[in-house]
Amino acid sequence: MEADTQSHIAFFLTGRRPSEHLDAVAGLGLRPALFAGFSELTQLRYDFPLMLVAKRSDKLMVQSLSGLIDDALVEAASGSEGERIRKHVLSLEQAIRVLVADGAGGSFSVLWEQAANQLERTGGESIAESLRRTRAAIKFDGEMVGCDATLPSRLLQHAWAAVQKQKAEEFRKDIARLVLRLSDILKADFERSEAGRSAKHLKASVGAGFVDAFDFDAMSSMLSKALPKEGFPESRRKRIGDLLEVLNAQQFFPMSEASEKKTATAKHYSFVFHSCADALAAFRKRLPKLIELAKAITIAELEIDGQYSEPKHDALFEEFGANGLDPQELAPFPDYLVCVNAERMQAVEHAQLMEILSSGLPIKVLLQIDDILEESPNGEGNLTSGMRSRQTANMAIGLNEVYVLQSSASNLFRFRERVLRGLNYPGPALFSIFSGASGAASGLPAYLMSAAAMESRVFPAFTYDPSAGPNWAARFYLEANAQVDLDWPIKSFAYEDEQHQRVSEDLAFTFVDFVASDRRYAKHLARVPREKWNGSMIPIDESLTIERKGLPDKVPSLLMIDADNVLQKVIVDERLIREARRCREMWHSLQELGGVHNSHAEKLLAREKKAWEERMLQEAEAHAAAQPVGGLAIVPVAQPAQTTADVLAEQEPERSPDEAYIETPRCSTCDECTQINKNMFAYDGNKQAYIADINAGTYAQLVEAAESCQVSVIHPGLPRNPKEHGLEELLKRAEPFR
Amino acid sequence: MNMMSATECLLQMCDEHLELEDYASGVPRWCTGCGDNAILAAVQRLCRDEGLRPEKTVFVSGIGCSSRFPHYMKTYGFHGIHGRALPIAEGVRMARPDLNVFVNTGDGDCCSIGAAHWIHAIRYNMNITVFLHDNQIYGLTKKQASPTSPIGTKSNTTPRGSYLEALNPLSVTLGVQNVSFVAQAVDWIPEVLFDIVRAAYHHKGLSFVRIVQRCPEWLPASLDPWLHDPNRVQLLNHENGLQSSAGLSRVYRNQLQHDPSNIDRAREIASSTDTVPVGILYRNPEVPCYEDLRRIDELRTPELTRAGLNAELDKYTVWPQEQKEMVA
Repeated sequence: MEADTQSHIAFFLTGRRPSEHLDAVAGLGLRPALFAGFSELTQLRYDFPLMLVAKRSDKLMVQSLSGLIDDALVEAASGSEGERIRKHVLSLEQAIRVLVADGAGGSFSVLWEQAANQLERTGGESIAESLRRTRAAIKFDGEMVGCDATLPSRLLQHAWAAVQKQKAEEFRKDIARLVLRLSDILKADFERSEAGRSAKHLKASVGAGFVDAFDFDAMSSMLSKALPKEGFPESRRKRIGDLLEVLNAQQFFPMSEASEKKTATAKHYSFVFHSCADALAAFRKRLPKLIELAKAITIAELEIDGQYSEPKHDALFEEFGANGLDPQELAPFPDYLVCVNAERMQAVEHAQLMEILSSGLPIKVLLQIDDILEESPNGEGNLTSGMRSRQTANMAIGLNEVYVLQSSASNLFRFRERVLRGLNYPGPALFSIFSGASGAASGLPAYLMSAAAMESRVFPAFTYDPSAGPNWAARFYLEANAQVDLDWPIKSFAYEDEQHQRVSEDLAFTFVDFVASDRRYAKHLARVPREKWNGSMIPIDESLTIERKGLPDKVPSLLMIDADNVLQKVIVDERLIREARRCREMWHSLQELGGVHNSHAEKLLAREKKAWEERMLQEAEAHAAAQPVGGLAIVPVAQPAQTTADVLAEQEPERSPDEAYIETPRCSTCDECTQINKNMFAYDGNKQAYIADINAGTYAQLVEAAESCQVSVIHPGLPRNPKEHGLEELLKRAEPFR
Repeated sequence: MNMMSATECLLQMCDEHLELEDYASGVPRWCTGCGDNAILAAVQRLCRDEGLRPEKTVFVSGIGCSSRFPHYMKTYGFHGIHGRALPIAEGVRMARPDLNVFVNTGDGDCCSIGAAHWIHAIRYNMNITVFLHDNQIYGLTKKQASPTSPIGTKSNTTPRGSYLEALNPLSVTLGVQNVSFVAQAVDWIPEVLFDIVRAAYHHKGLSFVRIVQRCPEWLPASLDPWLHDPNRVQLLNHENGLQSSAGLSRVYRNQLQHDPSNIDRAREIASSTDTVPVGILYRNPEVPCYEDLRRIDELRTPELTRAGLNAELDKYTVWPQEQKEMVA
C-alpha cells in the first residue's frame, strides 16, 4: 500500500491527521461543493423573504415575495413593454431582498418604497412608471420577514393569531346571540308582568308623539285584567340572570374587535406563553372559569329553545365538567401557544412539555431548534446531531393524539397549510422547527443551513395528523423531502477541470456534507492535496454501502470548495461515517412510516409473488399434461348462484288456511275493521291492524271486515263457533279471502 | 374521535321519548276506508321515529278532505284557505327556520286553485315536506271532477264523464326549475309509503310526494286495476333511493333500478300511465334553498332594526340640509 493511502486510512480509523500527508481543514473556509451556487442568496429568486399578510386565516396569510411579484407581473407586464417592466420589477425585488437580508424590517409597502426610491434615483422615469404599474397590481400588505432565527416564532404567532381571530369572531357572534335571546326572554317576562303593564311603562313605550291620543290608565287596567295566571318561575328568572352574568363577564375572548387590539388587558386572558409550565399553570387556573362558561353556553341554548327542564337538567348540570371537558367542548375556546427554544429547555420544562402533549389539551407548542449539531457533553460517545428534537417529535408521534409537524425554517412557507391544519387541530400540536441560526458561526445564512439540514436527512420534514384518517398512510406525510425514495438526494454538479473542460457529475448530499459545513467539526475532516488524490478515495454515499469487515482499502471523501470556488477533496474519519450511517437508519425508519420501502409490504409482496409464480407454474404444467388427451380441459360446472333475494327472503310463518289473521304490514289504517269491532280488531304501535281478540266478535264480523278491507289483508279462516247463525252463507262469502 | 361530546350525549338521554299516540289528536272525520288514514299513520310514525318535538313541528294545509290533516296532529297546525297552503308554509319557514314544516294538500287544492303557488314553491325550493293527497276527486264537496280525475270520470260537474286528460302532478313538478325531490307513493303499500315519507323529511329542500290515494266514497273502484294487480305497481329501487324489502319483493315483482339523480329518466318514468311508479323519482340535494340564500347572518338586535328603519325613513326626508339648519 502506498504511503499516502496508508496515512488516509490511518486518519479514517483514528481521526488523527499526519501533517505531512494531509492538511487541516480549519481556517480554510471550505464549504460543501453543492453550496457553490448559493454563495450570495440575495442574487437568487427563492421563497424568502415572506410577507405575513394581516387579516387572513387561509393559506394566503403568508406569501413569498417572489410569488407576489410573479402574480403582479402577470397582470402588469403585458404588451410590448412587458419585458422592460419585468426587468425593472425584478431588480426591485432583489433590492427588497437585500434590504431584508441587511436587517431592515417593516411592512411590504415601506420596503417597496425604500427600494423604489433607490432605483428611481438612478433609473429615472421609465423605472418609476414600471414600478407604479406593478405596485397597483399587488393587493396585499404585511410585515416582511427573512429566514432568520426569529422566523419560526413570528410565523407561528402570526398563523396562530389568524386562527384565533376567526374563532373569536364566531364565539363573539354566538355569545351576542345568546345574550340577546336571553335578554328577550327576560324582557317578555317583564312585559307580561304587572309592572310591565302599568300606565307609566305603557306610556314610555309608545313615545312622545302620541301621548295625548291614549288613555294609558284605561289601557293599563284593561291589560292588567288579562295578566297570565301562571307567572314566570322565579328560579328560571334567576337562572337566566346568572347566565347573562357569566356570558357578559367571560374573559376568554374580547367581546369587541376594538378591545381585541389592546393587548391582554385585565379584561381578557392572554394565551401566548414562553414556557410550558406557565401555559399549563394558566390553563389549570382558568379551568373552573372555562367550565362555568361552557356550562352557561349549553344551558343558554336549552333555555332559548325552551327545553330546560329543572327536574331533568338541574342534576345533570350540577355535575357538568367534573370530568374535565372533552376536545369537542374545548374546540370553540382559544388555543394556547407556547414558544420554547430547545437549547434553553431544562429537564423540568421537558417534563412539562410531555405533560402538555400527552394531556390532549388544546395547547400548541413551537419547539424551536437553532443548533442541531451542538456538541455532546459526553465527547466520546455519539454526536448529538438533531437527537434532542428527534426524540421529542418521535415521542409526540408515539402519543398518537398529537399533531406533529417537523420542518426546517426554509420549508415553512411550503408547509403553511400544514401549519394551519395543526393550529386548527382540536388537541395538542407540536411544531418542531430548525431555524438554521447556528450557521452564523460558520458564516452561512440560516436559510442555507436549514435547507441543507432538510436535504441531508439530518432534519427531514414531515407531518403526522391524527385527524387525517385512521392509518399511517393517511396521517403521515413525508413527501416534502427531496427524492424521498432515495437514501440521499442526488444533485447534478458541474465544474471546470484543469483543461478548462466542463465536467458534470451526480453528487449525493449526505449527512457528512451537512456536518462539513460546520466549523466545529473540522477536526473530523482532512484535506488531501490535489497531487495526492487517488482511486482509493470514494464518495461518502458509496462508502456507506460497503460493510467494512477487515482493514479498509477505501477512504470516504467529499468534494468541497474554498473561498475562491476552487474544488477541494476532503477525507472523513470513521466517527462521522458512523454518525452518517445512524442518520441513514433513522431516515429509513421514517421512510417505512411514510410507506416508502415498507419492509412489511415488501415481505408480503415477495411472498405473494412467489405464490403467484408457483401457481402459474402448476397451471402451466396441468395445462401441458391435459393437452395431449384429446385437448379437452375439464371445466368445473358452475353452481347456480344463490341470489341475494333468496338469502334475504324472510321465512313467512306457516299458516293454516283455517286460522283467521291479518297481514298487518300491508294494512293501510283505513279504520274499516276497527269500526266493525274495536275489541276484535286493534292497531299496533305503527297503527296497523291485527286481530286482538278473536273471541271478542262473531265470524260474521270477521267476514264483513274481510269484505270491507280496502287492501284485502284480512283472512277470516274457519268459524270457531259451529252454532253461529247463517254459517253456510258466511263460509261461501269468506272463500275468496282464505 | 367521537362525533358527540359527553354533554350532548347526556342531554340526548334527557330527551323525552314520545309515542305515536302523543302525536294523535281527535278522531279523524274522514270516511271509513279513506286513504288519508294511511297517510296520517305514516306521518305519525315518522314523528315518533324521528323524535320530532310537537312544539317544533307544524302542518299547514289548504281546503279539502286532505286539508283536515292538521286537526289530527297534536303539533302546531294551520288550516289555511283554498290553494294557499304552500305560501303560508313558506312564510312559516322563513320566519321560523327552526320548525319542521309539512304541507298537506289535495289534488284540487294544489293542482287547481293553488297551481301557481305550487309552481313557485318548487322553484323557491324551501325546506318543506309536501304531501299531495291525490284521490282524483273533490271529496269534501261531494264529487266534482278535479284536475287529476281520469278522462271520462262521471261526477256532479261532469255527468257525461270528464272531457280532459288528467294532469300529471309528477311531470309538472319535474318540469319546474330548481325541483329537488319528487317521489310517488300509493296508500295501499304502507311500508313504501313510510319509507318515502321518511326520505322526503330527510331531504333538505322542497320534497314533493304525490300519494295516490283511494276514495272509497266517491270513486270506489277507480284504482282497483292497480290495487289488485301487483304487476301494475312498479317499485323504483336504487342504492341512492329506496331498497325494497324481501317480503315486498315477493308480492311486487315489477321492479326497476332507477338512479334518482337522473332527471331525464325520472321524467320518462313519471309519464308512464300503465303502471304506477312507486319510489323516489328524483333527488338533488345540491339545489340551494331560498331561505338559505336570503338569510342574514347578522344578529337582529334592536339597534340594527332601528338603524335600518331610520335609514329607510331618511330616504323620504325632504331637504335634509335645510332641516339640519332649522334644528340648529
